[in-house]
Amino acid sequence: MDKLRKLLDIAGRLRGVLAFAIVFLLGVVFTPVSYKTGHSTFLNWSTQNDILFEYAEYGILAAGMTLVIISGGIDLSVGSVLGFAATLFSLLLIGYGWSAGGAIAATILSTAVMGALNGLVIARFRMQPFVATLGMMLIARGAAKWISGGIKVQPGARDWYAVQSGNPAVFDWMTSQTSLLSLRPITILFIASTLVLWIVLRFTRFGRYLYAIGGNEEAARLSGIRVGIVKVIAYTLCGMTAGLAGICNACRVTLGDPGEAGLTYELDAIAAVVIGGTSLTGGKGGMFFTFLGTLIIAYISKILSLQGIEEAPRLMIRGALIIIAVLIQQSRKE
Amino acid sequence: MRLQRNRFSASILLCIAMLGLVLTVTGCAQKKTKKQFVIGMSQCNLGEPWRVQMNADIKAAAAKHPEIKIIWKDAQNKTTVQQDQVKELVNLGVDLIIISPKEARPLTKPVADAIDAGIPVIVLDRKVEGDKYTCFIGGDNFKIGEEAGKFLVKLLGGKGNVVELKGLMTSTPAVERHEGFMKGIKGSQIKIIFSADCHWLEPDAQREMASALSRFPEPDAIDAVYAHNDPSAHGAYIAAKNEGKGREKRIKFIGIDALPHEGIRYVKEGLLTATFQYPTGGAEAIEIALKILHGQKVPKNIILGTRVFTRDNVDKGGQPL
Repeated sequence: MDKLRKLLDIAGRLRGVLAFAIVFLLGVVFTPVSYKTGHSTFLNWSTQNDILFEYAEYGILAAGMTLVIISGGIDLSVGSVLGFAATLFSLLLIGYGWSAGGAIAATILSTAVMGALNGLVIARFRMQPFVATLGMMLIARGAAKWISGGIKVQPGARDWYAVQSGNPAVFDWMTSQTSLLSLRPITILFIASTLVLWIVLRFTRFGRYLYAIGGNEEAARLSGIRVGIVKVIAYTLCGMTAGLAGICNACRVTLGDPGEAGLTYELDAIAAVVIGGTSLTGGKGGMFFTFLGTLIIAYISKILSLQGIEEAPRLMIRGALIIIAVLIQQSRKE
Repeated sequence: MRLQRNRFSASILLCIAMLGLVLTVTGCAQKKTKKQFVIGMSQCNLGEPWRVQMNADIKAAAAKHPEIKIIWKDAQNKTTVQQDQVKELVNLGVDLIIISPKEARPLTKPVADAIDAGIPVIVLDRKVEGDKYTCFIGGDNFKIGEEAGKFLVKLLGGKGNVVELKGLMTSTPAVERHEGFMKGIKGSQIKIIFSADCHWLEPDAQREMASALSRFPEPDAIDAVYAHNDPSAHGAYIAAKNEGKGREKRIKFIGIDALPHEGIRYVKEGLLTATFQYPTGGAEAIEIALKILHGQKVPKNIILGTRVFTRDNVDKGGQPL
């Protein structure tokens, strides 16, 4: 009996891995075979590689979002900040002819400022994160439209743009296959940012403070943690991941779309975090779970897409998935 | 607590089983028999009635050829999703791809990759960049705008005040429908006294038209409304009606697209004076697809003509221009 309990306990902790394995198996069983070769369209590295590439933006966003959610907050602005970053990056690169390095640095810096502003408003004025980041969501979207003049930033869109035709080299490079397992740079950025933030969360004092604040903010304050600064750093990092995801987005669609880039992405990022098992009430969860959460969403979406299932059942299945994930979370709290 | 955890594990298993069931039910009967052509159709967005019509046209045309099987993809108005779906179709090894791209630039490479993989691609409505596609079929928005302009000149006797309700001006169709119209009314005394970007949306058009009406309150200040699509023209009509001064009877409303359940119905009901058809090219795409699959040569670019529908000719199927 004791052994059984122990087994269940381990199974409980490995739930995320288990769910992921089941979803993967579903993928193997249910995806159609190629009409030409007769092989599964799921069980080959090219499809797997595509999945990691296609959901990299969500994964990067979710990694930053995890920090904020563990601290007991939420960041609704990441989708818009992503849109702003995609637009600014394209504008610097195409409009003003900056080098890729300069454009990347300036973009990440400005989204870091946006994140820091979120954190400052939340920490200094004790505003609810939901409200503060809702404001930033509108501000960032507006800023994206403002700097671009409301048009999609692409070569030749305005007479004065430095690049009038052809893609900037970095666009092609970011989406090309590297010699490392033919992973694309965007995929590598996704994995790398998850890894870096995992280390930050797991092995630094900052990471431990985040859990403490999310668990009980007053207790954390009383025990001498400078809650305000920790929060500002969390939101700043979250803003930076949104900037990185924005750069990836611009490279992927080869233009900066101020209106639609990142629209509703914040919800997908939150869903990935929640499905992974990080609690929205803060204090619990981890980066590895979020990584699994992103993959679970990615696989399910891919299976549904390969099957050609229509939008209506697709939305319902995804919705059911989120609710189940939260149900499981509640069971853990008792 | 243990029990509860068990129950939750059971519930997640149950739900995954349900998901599996859905997938099996929908996934059955995908086996391919000999001598069949599999065509992948990548539609950028099925939220717009015009695109629903395009898919319906393709379906109707394909129904006449039992050897054709179509795999439908809907990108939910997301560029990145459409890129991924084109890739999926290539991986599936379809015989031909028909695509109506959401956006030219980002879809250029996926289409080129499909061509490189030996799969012919027919591009509908919006072009991709360069010439790596098999055949493009589309309407001519500039010509439609121009015809609408000429029509208005004749209708108003060469003189009058017009409100222009534009489509999303970051998209090429709206720009071309505007520029064509300006060419059509050139040399006449028709003036555009108010114009606004309505993003192709009826609620926006209603709001903008209400502003136009309150800015020009005199009964005869506005002679006509030129809207870049039928829903906007309809929205303008509703706004005029809501104003309560009966101006909707005096103002001539002109729309574009002429879908059976929208523009054509509005013309039949007498709400719109005219609507200009923007052809979907769906039926033509299947025709061309069969030619390509049977190894025949096809033209690189096919530009479809337009038709005008007015109250007099709507029952006869409009008049080609």
